[in-house]
Amino acid sequence: MKTKHYKFFAFVALILILGISAQAEDLRKIVSLSGNWKFSIGDDSKWANPLFDDSDWDQISVPGQWENQGYKDYNGYAWYRKSFKTGDLPANTTIFLQLGRIDDVDMVYLNGKELGGCGKFPPNYITAYNQTRKYTIPADFLKENDENVIAVRVYDSYLEGGIVEGPAGFYYDEDNDFLNLNLSGKWKFHTGDIKGWKSPDFNDQEWKTINVPSAWENEGYNDYDGYAWYRLKFNLPQNLTNGELYLSLGKIDDVDNVYLNGKFIGNVYDLKKDGEYRSYGWEYNARRLYKIREGLLNRNGENTIAIRVYDGQMQGGIYEGPIGIMSAENYRRYKNKYHTDRSFWDYMFDKFYRNDN
Amino acid sequence: MTTLRNSTRIKTLFISALICLFTQSGKAYAGEENLVLLQSLKGNWQFSIGINEAWISPKFNDSEWETIKVPSPWENQGFNGYNGYAFYRKKITVPSLYKGRMLYLNMGYIDDVDEVYLNGHKIGSTGGFPPDYNTAYNAERIYYVPEQYINFDGSNLIAVKVYDSTQEGGIVSGEIGLYGGKASVNFDVNLQTTWKFQPGDDLRRKESDFDDSGWVEIFVPAKWEDQGYRDYDGYAWYRKSFIFPTNNENGKMVLLMGKIDDIDQVYINGTLVGSTGNFPSRPGAEVYTGQEFDAFRGYYIPDGLLKKNQKNVIAVRVLDTGGVGGIYEGPVGIITQTKYIEYWRKMKKSGN
Repeated sequence: MKTKHYKFFAFVALILILGISAQAEDLRKIVSLSGNWKFSIGDDSKWANPLFDDSDWDQISVPGQWENQGYKDYNGYAWYRKSFKTGDLPANTTIFLQLGRIDDVDMVYLNGKELGGCGKFPPNYITAYNQTRKYTIPADFLKENDENVIAVRVYDSYLEGGIVEGPAGFYYDEDNDFLNLNLSGKWKFHTGDIKGWKSPDFNDQEWKTINVPSAWENEGYNDYDGYAWYRLKFNLPQNLTNGELYLSLGKIDDVDNVYLNGKFIGNVYDLKKDGEYRSYGWEYNARRLYKIREGLLNRNGENTIAIRVYDGQMQGGIYEGPIGIMSAENYRRYKNKYHTDRSFWDYMFDKFYRNDN
Repeated sequence: MTTLRNSTRIKTLFISALICLFTQSGKAYAGEENLVLLQSLKGNWQFSIGINEAWISPKFNDSEWETIKVPSPWENQGFNGYNGYAFYRKKITVPSLYKGRMLYLNMGYIDDVDEVYLNGHKIGSTGGFPPDYNTAYNAERIYYVPEQYINFDGSNLIAVKVYDSTQEGGIVSGEIGLYGGKASVNFDVNLQTTWKFQPGDDLRRKESDFDDSGWVEIFVPAKWEDQGYRDYDGYAWYRKSFIFPTNNENGKMVLLMGKIDDIDQVYINGTLVGSTGNFPSRPGAEVYTGQEFDAFRGYYIPDGLLKKNQKNVIAVRVLDTGGVGGIYEGPVGIITQTKYIEYWRKMKKSGN
């Protein structure tokens, strides 16, 4: 009888937890891209051009597999195109394009510029059918209050194909409003693990750049698991030259060691006392909020953040915001917003179920 | 009582699921779901027992021969007890209306082995003649008819060489006739013809200068089980050389490989152009296959790979993990991307 109850509680707790992890980020939609798109099978680099005339193309509904929309049994290349108008774009924040799940490989062009892609096109084909597409929009890619054209090149090996699952649209993370200094954007990135990479003196000029936040699978590192380092140099603005400050690094998959100007300032396991890190297996879901010790920041000059990340399997890297520096006041507001998430049932689940696994 | 009723319902469900399963797989292999009858060829054919290569030729005069009803075992038509070789011949007219359409000859079920010729050109064969005798009495014969062998609006001769080992023999049953595919594929290079074939595996076979002169000939598309490789599972290679005509527009070309059982890698002039399924990384490693056999292959050919007005070589590496094997269903050939897009738009309109 006792076991039965226990299982019931665990089940209820599981449902609650699933409900909560679904609303992890506070994404607001700017432009929806669901509905009718222009569609053609085949492959031609000219179709990326925003001026290409697609008026005699077929139409297809997004999201949805093309097999259910008249292209049963079709495998291979196809292109999706859509024109859309934007209104006012939110300022000082990062805008994302979400395209849900694409089967198998994609490359996205916004107004003719290459935005990003997942998987690998033939001949050395690698599927990414299971990867959620979320691409960071660089400044000047999206035209404000104007017509824009998005073109998506898709390759499907076999079985279902296309932009198969939503959501599709442009979004921004409202939690960026809690940042006094937004550090999302291009960071330096290198796979592997070398101790010296934490040093502010290390020369990372040869390193590749990567969008932060974004799962590295969305940034050309298909299927990469293991160690990698992120580095960024920044200066504090005038209005932040005094007072207690916090470093927010959003969510990282799976484990991180964070260094500021060469000194260790924390990792996911330090978040246990806050309740942000709950138990083994929860690493990827903990909001990284590290207090910056007094005297560590160079308030008037250059600072270097170096983050060592280890990803065990599947999606990896700094994949969700907000990324940047928060004042004590914003830190408290941000904490309060999410603090209520953890109910009695979460506690029960962590205590009696998660630890048992 | 409730339990009993439930179990009956489950049984019914199970049986209908089974029926569903069988009809589905039957469809996938027969390759005739899109075929429509253009001209029935049931009825009287000229017939003679014996074997003579001259009988293949349209010039041979068969007016002295017996007439026989098709389909029906020859035992029922005065040849009771006869086993061995025999020939069937029939003249047909193919209207030019059918030009540009995919045409197929359905010769039904033949007991035991056959070879079919149109105007002296071999268009298909199932089973194995002695000395490597191999019956195929339970296989339906559906042969693609290459357009270049057809004399449109004129007389065309079908000659069928049959070998029967024991019991009933001949073209015994089936919906004998000339059939057309629903959507026509207007190939720039039609590859539905004889290819070179060799079981086994060797990656050197992908090279265009590989010597395949010692290989056997096989029809594409058709499962290899009907062409002398009855119980063969495992690796095999297909090779075909062809001239790529210069009169082509400069756009992208697509290689249609139809359906292949189970997985494949396709090379043109030694370069990989497409693949379906995952080949084992090292010999002897476990192979996992699922629905690859049912996937329709359309591989986009990288620009500049096809040599215009010169010899090009396609090499196809196939791994069959069980059951039916090979390039078993068309269309197989090369078309421009523009025509390929039209083809799919047409398929969509026809309700596909």
